[in-house]
Amino acid sequence: MVGGGLIVLGSLSLGEGWRLYGLRTQMVAGAVVGDDTFPLIVGASMVALGVLAAFVTAPATLRVVFPYGEPRGRMLVTGALLVVYWLVLPYAGYTASTALVSIGLFGAMGGYRWPISVLLGAATTGLLYLMFRVWLVEPLPTGWLGF
Amino acid sequence: MDVLPQLAHGFGAALSPTNLLMAVVGSLLGTLVGVLPGLGPTAAIAILFPLTTVLPPVPAIIMLAAIYYGAMYGGSTTAILLNIPGEVASVPTCLDGYPMARQGRGGVALGISAIGSFFAGMLGVTALTFFAPFLADQALRFGPPEYFGLMVLAFTVVASLSSASLVKGFAMAALGYFLSLIGLGPSTAEPRFTFGWTPLMSGVELIALVVGLFALSEVFLGLEQSRVAIAEKITNVFPRWADLKEAFPAILRGTGIGFFLGLLPGCAPGVTVFMAYDAERRIAKHPERFGRGAIEGVASPESANNATSSAGFIPLLALGIPASAPLAVLLGGLLVYGLQPGPLLFQKNPDFVWTVIASLYIGNIVLLILNLPLIGMWVWLTRIPYGILGPLILLLSVLGAYSVRNSMFDVAVSLVFGAIGYFLRKYQWPLAPLLLAFILGPLLEKYMIQSLSMSGGSPLIFFQRWLSLVLIVGAALLFLASLVLVRYTGRRVKEETAEELAL
Repeated sequence: MVGGGLIVLGSLSLGEGWRLYGLRTQMVAGAVVGDDTFPLIVGASMVALGVLAAFVTAPATLRVVFPYGEPRGRMLVTGALLVVYWLVLPYAGYTASTALVSIGLFGAMGGYRWPISVLLGAATTGLLYLMFRVWLVEPLPTGWLGF
Repeated sequence: MDVLPQLAHGFGAALSPTNLLMAVVGSLLGTLVGVLPGLGPTAAIAILFPLTTVLPPVPAIIMLAAIYYGAMYGGSTTAILLNIPGEVASVPTCLDGYPMARQGRGGVALGISAIGSFFAGMLGVTALTFFAPFLADQALRFGPPEYFGLMVLAFTVVASLSSASLVKGFAMAALGYFLSLIGLGPSTAEPRFTFGWTPLMSGVELIALVVGLFALSEVFLGLEQSRVAIAEKITNVFPRWADLKEAFPAILRGTGIGFFLGLLPGCAPGVTVFMAYDAERRIAKHPERFGRGAIEGVASPESANNATSSAGFIPLLALGIPASAPLAVLLGGLLVYGLQPGPLLFQKNPDFVWTVIASLYIGNIVLLILNLPLIGMWVWLTRIPYGILGPLILLLSVLGAYSVRNSMFDVAVSLVFGAIGYFLRKYQWPLAPLLLAFILGPLLEKYMIQSLSMSGGSPLIFFQRWLSLVLIVGAALLFLASLVLVRYTGRRVKEETAEELAL
């Protein structure tokens, strides 16, 4: 699969290199190299490595076991919460979104009951606020709520 | 170049309250993250890297270097007490450190590890002080073709960073180069791979990539493994005189092996620790003690680990070549601050270089002073449940990725690369070559374009100038040597852990 991905990305790089080559020959008269050179080299290398990985090297004997049952559920919920955090952070602002997502994360990752998760979430939100807003003076998103 | 006056000047700046504070805070934070089960120096730097971006360059790099040292020390703690190596470089420490802990001698193992690391670290920094400026002076004759040769030399590190398969390592490196191409072209500022999408114009942010690949994926692996930290109570970390006497020759040998091999750009600590451990076992009068709690089995690899890591600063600062994944992140840190590691760094930013070198001495002392008395606290920290640490690390990482450019796009990049990193690690595709190529890609491109412009497009320029030729031939030889060393290390890791781990 990775071999196939490399071939696709390599082809993309070759295509972009070709587009840039056309631009260079129009824009910069006499230049023998330019912004297209490296994409062409990288693209060709990626296609070659992709072919090697997909068709030439011995098939992998590695047996990868993915988690199942409860650990998989925990991981999926954690991943989903991070995506939710990315989606709501600009709108709900740092405080509300971090508090909600951290409560969810403590519940999902640690399996804590809601009261404990709320306590840990509030402490985490405060700690990170102190670190980023007060110590590092970072302008965290304020969102609709204004904080 | 007068080394001692420059160093004295560096100490003057490094001992300023702010810089000293950064060395102490960095050592503490690095150790704190390093002692968390399963998190090694690369993950530690990845998690804490964004926090340093608001600081001026000198305190920021001092803090990053201290985080690196601290995380390495913290990694030994989990290796000895919990039998969990944060990175391959800690595997040999587990072999005898953990049995020592089970015999109730965990404190002694930690003490010897701290003393050995301190000794090796100080020796490495001393060599850095005298050797790096000399190397940088020699490299001042470099033009674009020579710099290109240097980048090719740096590329040999990929071989030592791709333990499982060379094809996988090079494929990851190609992916790293590909990612480094996104953004504006260096010659004409024409957008590349942006597809008209504005956020891609400024390229993939290094910190977002590092946070995703190394920090987020690490948390998900930890979550999958349901990591539980259990540790014994540590009473005494100060080794007895007899222990010191027994361990000291091993510390010397480990330091020697780690330091001299560490000077080679393609030799990561993961390689030298096994060489040091095996050498110690080979010359031991009673080799059967190894694996059952031999103090030399802790002293030698721990010293080799620190000696290699310290020696790695020489090619990093003098030539801009990182020997390992954490040093590649440090290189990225220097570039983020607009500092180009290499010969010109000593010429253009001597104050910066000498302050950082002086801070490395201070960092080693701070670590020894802090860690021996605080070992009880670090042990206690290993007991914090992963259910509390995981959410903290995730939120810290996400906010860290955001804070660099105040960009939600960077958060998305880190999440995407977190997922990609998880799957790549599951299938044992090494991530360090990707990072190395991503960092070195723009430099390689710049020097290649400059060189080819000089020669009218002829690649023969790289072979017609003797320095460039020497570097390229040297790269080929180092590459072959790395292959031999990596095969040896891969075999040893498999013997000891029944797994294939990235160096």
